[in-house]
Amino acid sequence: MSYSITDSCNGCGACARLCPVDAIHGEKKEKHRIDKLLCIECGACGRVCPEGAILDAAGNPCTMIKRSQWEKPRFDRKICTSCNICIDACPVGCLDLSEPDDRKDPHGYPCMKVEKACIGCGFCAAECPVGAVTMAVE
Amino acid sequence: MKGKSGYTGKILNVDLDGGTMSEETIPDEIYESHLSGMGLAAALLYDRIPAGADPLGPDNILGIVSGLLTGTGSFFTGRWMVVGKSPLTGGWGDANCGGSFAPAIKRCGYDGIFFRGISERPVYLLVKNGTPQLRDAAHLWGMDAVETEELLIEEHGNGARVACIGPAGENRSLISGISNDRGRLAARSGLGAVMGAKRLKAVVLAGKGRIHAHDPDEMKRLSAACNKWVRFQPPFVSGPFTAKIGALLRVMPTQMAQDGMLFKIILKKWGTACMNQMSIEMGDSPIKNWTGSNRDFGTDRSKPTNPDAIIERERIKYHCYSCPLGCGGICTMEGKYTETHKPEYETILALGGLCMNADADSLFEMNEMLNRAGMDTISAGSTVAFAIECYERGIITKEDTGGLELTWGNAPAIVELVQKMITREGIGDLLADGSKFAAERIGKNSAAFAMHAGGQDLPMHDGRNDPGFALHYSVEPTPGRHTIGAQLYYEMFQLWRKVKDLPKAQMLYSKDRKFETGEDKAIKAAACSKYVNVMNGAGLCLFSAFLGAHRLPLFEWLNAATGWNKTAEEYLEIGERIQTLRQAFNIKHGIKPRTFVIPNRALGKEPLSEGANKSRTVDIEPMIRDYWRLFGWDETSGNPKEESIKRLGIKQ
Repeated sequence: MSYSITDSCNGCGACARLCPVDAIHGEKKEKHRIDKLLCIECGACGRVCPEGAILDAAGNPCTMIKRSQWEKPRFDRKICTSCNICIDACPVGCLDLSEPDDRKDPHGYPCMKVEKACIGCGFCAAECPVGAVTMAVE
Repeated sequence: MKGKSGYTGKILNVDLDGGTMSEETIPDEIYESHLSGMGLAAALLYDRIPAGADPLGPDNILGIVSGLLTGTGSFFTGRWMVVGKSPLTGGWGDANCGGSFAPAIKRCGYDGIFFRGISERPVYLLVKNGTPQLRDAAHLWGMDAVETEELLIEEHGNGARVACIGPAGENRSLISGISNDRGRLAARSGLGAVMGAKRLKAVVLAGKGRIHAHDPDEMKRLSAACNKWVRFQPPFVSGPFTAKIGALLRVMPTQMAQDGMLFKIILKKWGTACMNQMSIEMGDSPIKNWTGSNRDFGTDRSKPTNPDAIIERERIKYHCYSCPLGCGGICTMEGKYTETHKPEYETILALGGLCMNADADSLFEMNEMLNRAGMDTISAGSTVAFAIECYERGIITKEDTGGLELTWGNAPAIVELVQKMITREGIGDLLADGSKFAAERIGKNSAAFAMHAGGQDLPMHDGRNDPGFALHYSVEPTPGRHTIGAQLYYEMFQLWRKVKDLPKAQMLYSKDRKFETGEDKAIKAAACSKYVNVMNGAGLCLFSAFLGAHRLPLFEWLNAATGWNKTAEEYLEIGERIQTLRQAFNIKHGIKPRTFVIPNRALGKEPLSEGANKSRTVDIEPMIRDYWRLFGWDETSGNPKEESIKRLGIKQ
């Protein structure tokens, strides 16, 4: 399943600009469409649509949320294994490994590299096998 | 949420002759009987590469595959595999590597990408936003692996993952590999040369698709439980003290079955460098082209590469995708290059003790040179050691070497020789395909000093110290492979805890029993082979198996990822099927398994007169016969029997 766009779409293009996998296309001021083979169900389009024209994979309408209210990942270093799964799962590449803090712990840990790029999809938290990543509004 | 199941069910076929590409749906039955990764590749390539195909010709198919468990929420699944007909051995070829490339294959929607044909001009494959395309690689040809990757990431964004060849692959060196993550190498079997022959410089993957498991909650539960064992990390001895442990293991009259957790602990602290000195002292690592011992290369000479000395240069540790252990690191160095991957155990010993080279700086330098060139460090070190022995014996002279004084431990000469091998300059051209081909070119009875099995140079684990290594070097369809099994591995895998009928390792036994070569050893070797084939189908790192089968939920992960309900025995039968397919591939291509016998020197014929392996001779013949019989292969020829092929459902 993938997200879809209803006739309420006014063709503003906000969703297409945000889509991390280039799955949304359409002419300006015309109804856009989502390529279901490319959609990764990140939900960014639904959170940004001012018309409430996006349906999620289950067919439920999405609600626009102010960007400042989007959830962002938080990392618990005590639990984190530095396994990179969260970094690999991020569809916009906003996470990266930190440089080590000191010689006693030479590991890098995941951190927010480009905060503005985060779309609040929560894939990082969903894929973390040990629950070291949680999503919260700042 | 329950839903899709581990694999994507699709592969991408690329025909470099015509530049065409097509997606292919793979039936579920293939995954259920072969898993993904190596198993999927074995099933496809056994059928699709015609008998007698030239490994460097258009009929050879080069595959890159990801594991079934990769991306499903399981740990240790960052290994991708490259497969094809090996130009080095003439038979089945495979190699694998960690890093971040394995999930990238599946995020593009494929379990594997397979290349046939030969491109007219250098190209690279780009898969982005669901669209594969071949692009011109003229500007990349001639670049080293790190330069190539950096340029491609610059062109296609930070999210792009790159596998590529360096100059060694372009030059069709038969000991070249394929690099990812800036110089990490899928090194064995010479498959870099296949990529070079196809004029395929790189594969760039920028997919962002999600990978699903059938039961993600169960995957997480299993992973969290496994992680508790990974995190168990009591304080351990200092680096230099590991040499004393090795010496102790050498002199003890008894042998203790080793729980792999001990290795996990030191591996997590130091990476594979943990074994550098210990291995020499206990007789595990060959010295001086397999003629020396700890007496020749004692702790004073190996000291510059003791585990603490190596990590002293480590700037940051890194983990492969989904690995909670993190054995890798980036080290700083001086000279032309300022950084290199932390040199692996195999690299340090192949270019160190095997060549009597105690110069740590030169080892770091050659590590980076070979990584960038995309050349296998094991084979390179082994071939250099062969060349030095030839020089010392007067078989080759200063005229042949272009003025190099190829004497034991002459670090500057060794570095220069490696450089010549990379560029195929002078004597380097003669050596660039490994010791077997070098010996054929040199003649003069030099073959006796070429330490290989079927063309593959032997790794840094001595069968005289653990006959299991010697056995696997000889019976593997990709010979000379140290990552399949050994007596030590069997003890660390602890498979008997999961698989009924497998013999339990005795906790304490006489040292003499370690070197016996009875049927018991063959049973253990066969079990190791099957298990590792399952791991290679799943995409797991070998090091995870050292946790022990009761701590590593491999079979449970596979069931949770796919929704299957297979038993451990059923999974081992899949491992048996994969192994038999790889052997059948060799038979189809005219390989006689007997030709993979390792040199007399590596079997202790003549035995060493001093050191850890003094007076030891290994008779692997009975074990080879038993191993083949246990797989249902002919005991004399190694050919899989008709009834075994039928029982395993292999189509001929």
